[in-house]
Amino acid sequence: MHTLGPTSAARKVIPYFAAMCAVVLAWQAVVAVTQPSPAVLPSPALTAQTLWSLFASGEAWRHIGASLGRVFAAWLLAAVLAIPLGLLQGTHPRLERLLDPLFELFRPISPLAWIPMAILWFGIGEAGKIFIIFIATFFPILLNTVSGVKAVDPVLVRAGRVLGCDTDARLFRQVILPAAMPTILVGLRISFGTGWAAIIAAELVAANRGLGYLIANGMEILRSDQVLAGMVIIALLGILVDTGFRIAGRRLGVKD
Amino acid sequence: MQDVSKAPPRDGVFITRVSKSFGTPSGDTVEALRPVSLDIEAGEFVALIGPSGCGKSTLLNIVAGFEEPSAGTVQVDGEKVTRPDIRRGMVFQQYALFPWLNVRDNVAFGLRQKGVPRREREAIAQRYLDLVGLSEFGDARPDALSGGMKQRVALARVFATEPGTILMDEPFGALDALTRGFLQQELLRIWREHRKTVLLVTHSVQEALFLATRVVVMTSRPGRIKLDQRIDLPYPRSVATPGFRECESTILEALDDELRKTYGSAPAMVSD
Repeated sequence: MHTLGPTSAARKVIPYFAAMCAVVLAWQAVVAVTQPSPAVLPSPALTAQTLWSLFASGEAWRHIGASLGRVFAAWLLAAVLAIPLGLLQGTHPRLERLLDPLFELFRPISPLAWIPMAILWFGIGEAGKIFIIFIATFFPILLNTVSGVKAVDPVLVRAGRVLGCDTDARLFRQVILPAAMPTILVGLRISFGTGWAAIIAAELVAANRGLGYLIANGMEILRSDQVLAGMVIIALLGILVDTGFRIAGRRLGVKD
Repeated sequence: MQDVSKAPPRDGVFITRVSKSFGTPSGDTVEALRPVSLDIEAGEFVALIGPSGCGKSTLLNIVAGFEEPSAGTVQVDGEKVTRPDIRRGMVFQQYALFPWLNVRDNVAFGLRQKGVPRREREAIAQRYLDLVGLSEFGDARPDALSGGMKQRVALARVFATEPGTILMDEPFGALDALTRGFLQQELLRIWREHRKTVLLVTHSVQEALFLATRVVVMTSRPGRIKLDQRIDLPYPRSVATPGFRECESTILEALDDELRKTYGSAPAMVSD
């Protein structure tokens, strides 16, 4: 915490800033050379203008709020289910042998593939969208929790037992859970990222708000500048939230 | 052989015909430990030494309660060992400090499990940190400490719970020679102050001779006791202590025999 001086903060921001400048420069160069119609590739200036008006009118905040709310709800639901399940699986090898093949079967299926079923099962309201994001967030949390518990150093378990953790419950609370916590927190951070990436899929169908809707709508009305503006917001917010998680994690003693 | 079941409960560690065999995946049985009997009186410091793989760590783990013997019993301070217990402290070669706790909370961990109130256990932890020369490091994270300092924290953590018996599994094996020598002196000083029963597994003959009141040499696998030697030299000891070299050569000779069996020929014996 005390190592995070202004210089080290700057050192972390500068690469992001440089990458952003490089992308904008390359983008501008392509526009200058090929002179495309704005519907095919709008210039950075036009996109920036669209971004500005989206924020000025307050419309951007509405979409951001809707998307963040959905991801947060789905992520919370996934955490509430996946963490206890992962803890159980990690401490009960027989249960893991039973459940692991089941989850491995579902894991390769992209959240996108679930859209039709989500609509059939949950309709076109919020529940279906949250379900899609839930699918995207559940597995990273589960897998990290299981591997966090299984990777607890056996010598720490022995130390705990010989220092008075004489019941499984006490050993779990005093040693296994805190030892696995850093890995569980990494899973929570990663899954927020995968959930955030899944909002496009979730909001592709029958949404009237959200960044995914903003992009899908831009495609329908041939407003590429709106599509790109939506993509820029998703990228920036993704980085922002991820950074927030890293800082929170470091406060809790997680090395990432 | 004494019959422990009829003898009145006595303090100390009493190992009676303990043996251990493992089943391998191919269906064979590997004998790790031949029936071993060893009586350690309260307050003794016994060093257990032998070729690697001779089962000395297995024996220690059985005394700690981490492993069950295939046959035989271990009795510590009048009670049969069935599981790990805070009254038998353990110092591990890998320190085994809890990285999510600071140094003070690591030392206080055992007291916390015993239900000692926070303020009291922190005061006790501080006293034991003073004892190992780490008064200033209570708030530090274990990650920030050197190997030698970590093992001093582990020593403080064990002594803080005031166990009757302390088991040590090559506690200084991962440390450089200078740090090891320093920690041996520290351990000796604390042991002479507190007079716990100590069972130390080591692969260093000199370490055994600097510290122990008794050195037990084990044979190569399957382990049996080869030599049980009382060391009546005055503390603090050094290689210059009269009688030290004689003890050393007795033990080295016994060990050499065993290494010859393990490796086929006698390698140059490295005493430390």
